[in-house]
Amino acid sequence: MTGRTREPGSRDPDYIQPMELDPRGNVIVVPDERASGPLPSGEPVEGETPDPVPAPRRWAVRLLVGSAAVLVALAVGYDTVDLVRRAFETSMVLGIGAAALAAGTVVGAFGLLAGELRSLRRLRQIDGLRADAEHLRTAGTHGEAERYAGAVASLYRDRSDLAVQLTSLKDHLSDAHDDREVVRMVDLQLLQDIDRRAYQLVLRASRDTAIATALSPAALLDVAIVLWRNLKLVREVASLYGARPGYVGGLKLLRRMLGNIAIAGVAESGNHLVAEALGSTLAASLSARVGQGVINGLLTARVGLTAMHLCRPLAYDETNRPSLKRIRRELLSVPKQVL
Amino acid sequence: MPPSLFRDLTNLGGQAFDRVGELTDRVLDGNLRIGVTGLRRSGKTVFTTALIDNLLHADRLPFLDVVATGRFIAARMEPQPDQAVPRFDYETQIARLTAPDPVWPNNTKVTSQARVAIRYMPGSLLKRRLRGVTRLNLDIIDYPGEWLLDLPLLDRTYAEWSRETLELSKRHPRDALAAEWLAYLSNRDPSGPAEEAVARRAAELYTNYLLACRASDQLLSLIQPGRFVEPGELIGAPVLAFCPLPEPATRAGRHTLWSMMEERFEGYKTNVVRRFFAEHFARLDRQIVLVDVLGALNAGPAALADMQTSLSATLESFHHGRSSWLDRLLGGRIDRVLFAATKADHIPSNQHGNLRRLLDGLVAERRNAIRFEGAAVETMALAALKCTETVMAEHQGRQLSCVRGIPLGRTEPTVLYPGEIPDDHRLLDRDGIRKLNFLDFRPPTLAGRHGRGLPNIRLDQALEFLIGDFLS
Repeated sequence: MTGRTREPGSRDPDYIQPMELDPRGNVIVVPDERASGPLPSGEPVEGETPDPVPAPRRWAVRLLVGSAAVLVALAVGYDTVDLVRRAFETSMVLGIGAAALAAGTVVGAFGLLAGELRSLRRLRQIDGLRADAEHLRTAGTHGEAERYAGAVASLYRDRSDLAVQLTSLKDHLSDAHDDREVVRMVDLQLLQDIDRRAYQLVLRASRDTAIATALSPAALLDVAIVLWRNLKLVREVASLYGARPGYVGGLKLLRRMLGNIAIAGVAESGNHLVAEALGSTLAASLSARVGQGVINGLLTARVGLTAMHLCRPLAYDETNRPSLKRIRRELLSVPKQVL
Repeated sequence: MPPSLFRDLTNLGGQAFDRVGELTDRVLDGNLRIGVTGLRRSGKTVFTTALIDNLLHADRLPFLDVVATGRFIAARMEPQPDQAVPRFDYETQIARLTAPDPVWPNNTKVTSQARVAIRYMPGSLLKRRLRGVTRLNLDIIDYPGEWLLDLPLLDRTYAEWSRETLELSKRHPRDALAAEWLAYLSNRDPSGPAEEAVARRAAELYTNYLLACRASDQLLSLIQPGRFVEPGELIGAPVLAFCPLPEPATRAGRHTLWSMMEERFEGYKTNVVRRFFAEHFARLDRQIVLVDVLGALNAGPAALADMQTSLSATLESFHHGRSSWLDRLLGGRIDRVLFAATKADHIPSNQHGNLRRLLDGLVAERRNAIRFEGAAVETMALAALKCTETVMAEHQGRQLSCVRGIPLGRTEPTVLYPGEIPDDHRLLDRDGIRKLNFLDFRPPTLAGRHGRGLPNIRLDQALEFLIGDFLS
């Protein structure tokens, strides 16, 4: 079909004659070089989730919050300095004590802030990794995924519970795998094990919520239980995937998740579950409280599964997506357990 | 011909008897027969050895689902079902490959068979409840690749075959090798009297021509009939004393040289080819077709075209298509076919994609035909035994992906830049468009150490495609 022929030399300016090179020369074994290369910064694309609705007057809010925060910090700092000065005037010992306390507070606050920032960066890094993986999975390239594998492995470097998986991942990866295969290998050898454990966590949490709601005497207590348990679950799942979120990170995660869940349609599943629960003869006789418990359990399960989606450095594909099916079955046995 | 018909019938009876025995086997256990199809030097023996070794150790098969999900329990070699067929000598082969001074297997001279029994936990809860731990018996056959090219003979008459073979032998690069035989034939009259001495001499010269084809560095694969170069147990048998003849003008006379040769050709088909096919290929469930694309590329476009023809002709003999449970029970059809470009470790790994696409193009016609018949088809680039590693080397300021390994016959490793293979065989039409140079490498020293099985490239994915559904 390519009817035209040209001289071998002129065919391609990049043409290089096959040859043997000096094995003692400048030769780099590929996987090592890639694995020890610099870790990806994990910087996500700016504006990772573009808002569909333009945010009006965002700068005003920022200005307000920023100025207020600086003002408060200034006031507190001024007062503290004043307090320390007056304490020194009163007595040397009191002054040293006050100064030490102030210093401790400042150091502690900075430590906390640094921790929060680090955890936020980790979350962002995982987002970046997920985007990388998606790219590698579809691009059909070769040799770029080792860096990804290295980054994921370094995410779990200090985890003694994953040492076996990490070793087997290292053992199985070879220079012959292309990028898609490397990503699949990370999935198989490392992440699926974490998935299993995370699923167990979700299962347990949703059962806890269901039973606790069913048994709790006051509605307000329900809300508290659900909130507390969900936040705890999110942090557990996130830590399992190596995201280790701080308080701010956890809240941020929860916020994003609530958005996701709203899209996924909790109402649909709730209806479905109520229908299922009330349809069965046993559940028909149950009080509304137990039904509510089941729904709360399902909500928790949704939160947990969404957390799994958001904290995983590799998006699920069609085959290994965690499903609500087993959790739902488990939850439907809750009414029997309660009664 | 009544005698051959009778023989066919008795064969059929014997087969039916065998199958009843096998049937009970199949009902009780999962049995799977894998046909390792490949022209000579495509690496069937190494593939079989590596396959068995990796199944026994199961530590280098991360993409085999049963291993990845931890359901694999163990595998071991068991006595094969066909008592009359020699056992595949896995122990010797693996010892030679993993010795401190490793060597590749020699030419395979006879057929042999191996059975690997795999014990595993079924993946689905239902199956696990019903059957608990299950086993799968995997039968693999090794045979001289030369014999494979006999299969297309089954559809040819002697006249057709003679015409094709003579035509082929007059073309470059075969004409030089066939000169002596052709000269001898030109002095003989096919419609002359049948003389044994003439037939023997002609067959001998023809055999020499085939042997020369095999030995030539052009890597010619179309060598028919296969038993002439790899006679197995048939050395000196009269059934091998024939060769193609130019068709005489008049086909009269029963005792002419032509009719004698024709009779022997038919006898060869019935006694040798059909038996070989019935004993080893008729009952296959899955098929892997090993293709040494790189070897053919190295030898040039003629070799590539030759290989393409041979493969295509060979594969026509098999029955493909989706098998029903009845077919499965009787072993009727092949429902999965994998085309594999072997020796993928001879090129840097970033070219594996191109190698796969190249093979895809080469076998496109057969692949589509098989797919049309209803079987699943896949192409892959693999290496049963990985001998090299991919390294980056700098050459005149450019980074080149190279392979590092010890070439055959040397002791020091070298770094080879083999050139870039194109992703379409049509780009290779003319000599010299792309100069490629692949070296043959030695097996890695102490390949099987740590008890992990032979290092390989994509053997696990090949296995997953071939037997994965049986292990689910």
